[in-house]
Amino acid sequence: MSRGLGVLAALALLTLPLWLASPYHLHVVIMAGIFTILALSLNLLLGYTGQLSLGHAGFFGIGAYTSALLALRGDRSFWIGLASAALAAGLAGWGIGRLALKLRGAYFVLVTISFAGVISLVSINWMELTNGPLGLPGVPPPELFGVPLRTKAAYYYVVLLAAVLAYLVCHRLVHSRLGRAFLALRENEPLAESVGVDPVRTLVAAAVVSAAMAGVAGSLYAHYVRFVSPEVFLFGYTVTMVIMVVAGGKGTLLGPVVGALLFTALPEALREAMDWQWQMLAYGIVLVLLVFFLPRGIVPAVERAWRRPRGRKPDGAPRGLPREESRPPSRRADAAESGATLTITDLAVEFGGVAALAGVSFQVRPLTITSLIGPNGAGKTTAFNAITGYLRPRRGRVLWDDVALSGQRPCDIARRGLVRTFQKTSVFPALSVRDNVMIGLHLRGRGRTLGILAGGRAIREEEARLGTEADVVLEFVGLRHRRDDVAGRLPYGEQRLVELAVALAARPRLLLLDEPGAGMTGGEKDRLIELIRRVREQHVTVFLVEHDMRLVMGISDTVIVLNHGRVIAEGPPAAIQAHPEVIRAYLGSAARA
Amino acid sequence: MNGLVLGGTYALLGIGLTLIFGLMNLVNFAHGEFYTLGAYTTFAALALGGVNFFGAVAAALVIGAAAGALCERVLLAPLRDESIDTTMLVMIGLWIALQNAELLGWGGAAKSIPHPFATAPLTLGPVGIAPLRVFVVLTALALIGLSWLLIQHTRLGRAMRATFQDRETAALMGVRIGRIHTATFAFGSALAAAAGALLGPIFLAYPSMGDLASLKAFSVVILGGLGNLAGATIGGVILGIAEELGAGYVSSGYRDAVGFVIIILVLLFRPSGLFARSERVG
Repeated sequence: MSRGLGVLAALALLTLPLWLASPYHLHVVIMAGIFTILALSLNLLLGYTGQLSLGHAGFFGIGAYTSALLALRGDRSFWIGLASAALAAGLAGWGIGRLALKLRGAYFVLVTISFAGVISLVSINWMELTNGPLGLPGVPPPELFGVPLRTKAAYYYVVLLAAVLAYLVCHRLVHSRLGRAFLALRENEPLAESVGVDPVRTLVAAAVVSAAMAGVAGSLYAHYVRFVSPEVFLFGYTVTMVIMVVAGGKGTLLGPVVGALLFTALPEALREAMDWQWQMLAYGIVLVLLVFFLPRGIVPAVERAWRRPRGRKPDGAPRGLPREESRPPSRRADAAESGATLTITDLAVEFGGVAALAGVSFQVRPLTITSLIGPNGAGKTTAFNAITGYLRPRRGRVLWDDVALSGQRPCDIARRGLVRTFQKTSVFPALSVRDNVMIGLHLRGRGRTLGILAGGRAIREEEARLGTEADVVLEFVGLRHRRDDVAGRLPYGEQRLVELAVALAARPRLLLLDEPGAGMTGGEKDRLIELIRRVREQHVTVFLVEHDMRLVMGISDTVIVLNHGRVIAEGPPAAIQAHPEVIRAYLGSAARA
Repeated sequence: MNGLVLGGTYALLGIGLTLIFGLMNLVNFAHGEFYTLGAYTTFAALALGGVNFFGAVAAALVIGAAAGALCERVLLAPLRDESIDTTMLVMIGLWIALQNAELLGWGGAAKSIPHPFATAPLTLGPVGIAPLRVFVVLTALALIGLSWLLIQHTRLGRAMRATFQDRETAALMGVRIGRIHTATFAFGSALAAAAGALLGPIFLAYPSMGDLASLKAFSVVILGGLGNLAGATIGGVILGIAEELGAGYVSSGYRDAVGFVIIILVLLFRPSGLFARSERVG
């Protein structure tokens, strides 16, 4: 049925100029098309990466001016102008991204908003180039094989094509390794980094694509209206885009399209009744109301109402392959390669003068299960954070065989095969279990921005391969039956398994587990113990922090005991259990009193 | 000297914004609108209410605080546990709605705010300065001083500092977070309104004046480090002077770009702000 609807919609779009008699209506539709591209571009950032750009009018304006100037001063064709507009805006997006995405959040918003302000000032003040506030009149219409596309109907098809392409670009990106990385950073940045997603690089890629799309929209606008003035930088345009995305549904593909159509048509319909100020006032109020009453937007709300609750497959034993036959998710048995040693030398971390780690040295030998234990506040998680790059030690060295890890970012450390989990449950809550694991497979894919946009066969094959790998990992941890469930809604114990699956998907050589058993029931813990053993069989070294002594003593080859930021004992479980200082640390300070 | 006049008011704007950001983790895009509100309140009190100038400035402070408190209770309190993006969108909505409401209410024409000071400049050796500007600098300094006293030496200030460092722990210690948030937002808004009331008579009052004020407040806050009160004070003065110099030596058309250039330089070289302590609190 939905296919039929799609064909109908396509037919309607293709024949629109035939039955839409009034040129005014066609004009509204063309503007809606241009705003669709803008809303789609903003949505890539706001909806998928969670970074709000308030400078999109700036990218739009850069595109408009680039294209107009090339046509008027350089006598270049529309098509060259269009490409250059995308290029120039993309370049601006790259610069802004490099600058502000290191810090993200509020900083990005501020930099983008001031960027748009400054570009606007330049367009007003640089008289020689832009003709200042008077603007550039007489931008020619595009030509196709020497025929100028002067009519609105002809231009409609140009805009329609561009809007469809913009939609496809978003579609490809979102369903790719890169798009999953966007979502991962939005949902849970530390976890994304732990499986090798490079935040700055990923977000800059999003900013470049988004800005380039806005530039294309600017070029289309310039050659349609045939006049460019500093007004293209109006902040009102950015606000309109934000409203379109938020109202339509950020983080959905269809949302911005719906939003753009609605918020181009609606103001035009109300134009008689309201002037621009009232409209803007209404926009402000609509935005506030939306956040309160429809925070996820129209499209998700409609979808939810539409979709009847589906029957869920019965829970319980995973179906499909029996467990014993499930293929190992981690690296193939190249034992020599897996056998790296983690060597910590004199690691020290301070928080505001308090020593959390006071010069700790130990080794994690290859293919062992090593546990780090100690009373609360002993510095266990701090040690994990320092090893995996989440915090910078004051001194000391972390060596992975002979590679120094100190000073590297978490995503680079993940690339070397050290993957960690977190003490507090940490999944990508809004995504399905399978998508969680797909993000874990980030480093297993090769697709780059341009390749993904081109959508070649290699990319499609890679997607299929990653999908299969994800299923194998889910099978391995016993979550196959939860594949399509939203991770954030699973019971606690299963969320911990999702975490483990995400980490395993990254194919660690050294897996660092931070209290994997915390909050699990007895039965769940038994399964966890079995799982950790099976992980080691896949030639993975396991290093864990854990409070449950039954778990620790049951599976560890070596136990390291921390207390007050120092190693107080190290050895096989039996020896540790009998160690007097360990007993003192755990049972209290009879000796000290 | 003009730099100091601007700087003092920028500092007021910056302190308000940085407090709100640090304490409430809220990017307040409507901050400039409270500045506009301050200017218009002064205008209204003078022109319609027949209050004298000093009374009008005081009225701006009070109305600013009241409007801030109202806005926090109605819009922000219900969203306290939402993400920073959600509240940011609300503040953007509020900003646009308020600005256009002002435009509809007062009209687009700029209003000049009368003041009782002599227009003839006081001459102090080689420099001449209008008495109004002296008043502005002194009032701004007094308000900055008062903010310091409030935060460092009162019970409310201590509760605010505690909340800033760790909201949950502060709540466990009996600090009523809801009230602290309302107080902070009201206080920050009052400072913004004061800045508007002070700069209004020097320049003019017009509906979109808040946009530039917001932009400048954000530059100041980034310059000083998010959530850093002393940084915002010094940052305000630096921005004011830098703008004066930039307008004088480069081109007055680009005066308002100075803040942006500063933001870029700070982000490139000292991302945590010029005056960040090495250990970040909060």
